[in-house]
Amino acid sequence: MDIYLTPMKQKILNSAIAASLALAAGVAKADTGKLLLTGGVSTIEGAAGGGLTPWAVIGSNATDGELGASVHLTRAGTQDYALTGYGVAVGLYNRAEMSLARQDFDASPATALNGIAAFGVTPGQHIRMDVLGLKVRVAGDAVLNSDSLMPQVAVGLQYKTVDPGSIGSVLKFLGASTYGTDFYVSATKLFLAPGILVNATLRSTSANQNGLLGFGSKAPGRGSRGWQPEFSLAWLLSKNLAIGTEYRFKPNNLEALGASSGLGDALREDDWRDIFIAWAPNKNASLTVAWVDLGRVIPGITGGRKQTGWYLSGQFAF
Amino acid sequence: MKKTLTLLAFIAGCLLPGTVLAQDAIANDALYKAFGEKPGIALLMDDFVNRLIVDPRIGHMFKKTKPANLKEQLTDQVCLASGGPCKYEGNPMKAGHADLGITKADFNALVEVLQVSMDARGIPFRAQNQLLALLAPMHRDIITK
Repeated sequence: MDIYLTPMKQKILNSAIAASLALAAGVAKADTGKLLLTGGVSTIEGAAGGGLTPWAVIGSNATDGELGASVHLTRAGTQDYALTGYGVAVGLYNRAEMSLARQDFDASPATALNGIAAFGVTPGQHIRMDVLGLKVRVAGDAVLNSDSLMPQVAVGLQYKTVDPGSIGSVLKFLGASTYGTDFYVSATKLFLAPGILVNATLRSTSANQNGLLGFGSKAPGRGSRGWQPEFSLAWLLSKNLAIGTEYRFKPNNLEALGASSGLGDALREDDWRDIFIAWAPNKNASLTVAWVDLGRVIPGITGGRKQTGWYLSGQFAF
Repeated sequence: MKKTLTLLAFIAGCLLPGTVLAQDAIANDALYKAFGEKPGIALLMDDFVNRLIVDPRIGHMFKKTKPANLKEQLTDQVCLASGGPCKYEGNPMKAGHADLGITKADFNALVEVLQVSMDARGIPFRAQNQLLALLAPMHRDIITK
């Protein structure tokens, strides 16, 4: 897939986001009819789901026969890093979802890489990534088929381009590409009587840290894509309040390359998990607060620390 | 190893609601009692239909319906669904809704009105969801558009 897609220009994404926002404003007045929280919240990659994992639900409030849209703003912070993200998702007839998300990752500790080689990483460097997402519901209804175990199933892709700024020299050294595509299949089921939602996603990816550190690695690191499972479990406490947890397996493409260069586990990548509370004060707004554990993120420059911290995301949906 | 453990934990987590689902399916009248038996259900349906016929989204669909009849039929239906000793003698769901052009959004709007009524009657969230889980599969007969 990647070889057929050239890296998308920032300008095209900008105008696409502007056009989507205009569409979102256009449908804002329409009376759309999903039940509260059944469209999920916005993931950091823009698709509807939990916080870290896409679900099979189609984003926005629109259900069958309707158009809808959502916008989100997310901020997360850990011991050494911070991430700001925003984006838009458009829901088409409860069948397809298109999303655009932009991430701005504060990679300030990366200046320590200059001590390993003359990478020329500038202080306070941010890494920017754009994610263009497409998701199609292929079967089921996560909510209404409460007499059956059949989940709602969707397939999706996420095309990601990363602008690493002065960290580009590091990605080049690692043999990591600046763009890549994830493919996934998600199954989501709401057990309505006990109010428990279960999601399982299987993702084919070669992304390092979700793509923020590029895609793949040169040998002896792993350059090819692999399947990674992701899980979400949520419990509805009331109509507009849910708590839950997520676990997202991740590749560890770079560690072997680091080890072969005498850096030990300096480039280790760990799985991600979170515990969240999502609250929808009304049909159009939701707020998600989470504790996240991102494991080690380039532990060689952060004293080997695990990255844990908070996550805050607001969403408006129509 | 870690992967395997997490997977096992997750599978256990998935089976849990399945067990709960099975328990809920066991016919008993606990839910019927939680709704205050037939008098409680009748009061709930009275409140529900009163809200339904003035709802700006779907109220117009009930213009040709006699509220008293609707209340009676719904009371019997919910009584029966919740495990109570009732008989539903109204129209079959599929035939009764065939020509109405009801969308999923309409169906969801009706669920929301029912939730407002159940809240107003002080029915606990868990009992509300147990009833909705029994009624939701009717969407296959009701949604025609």
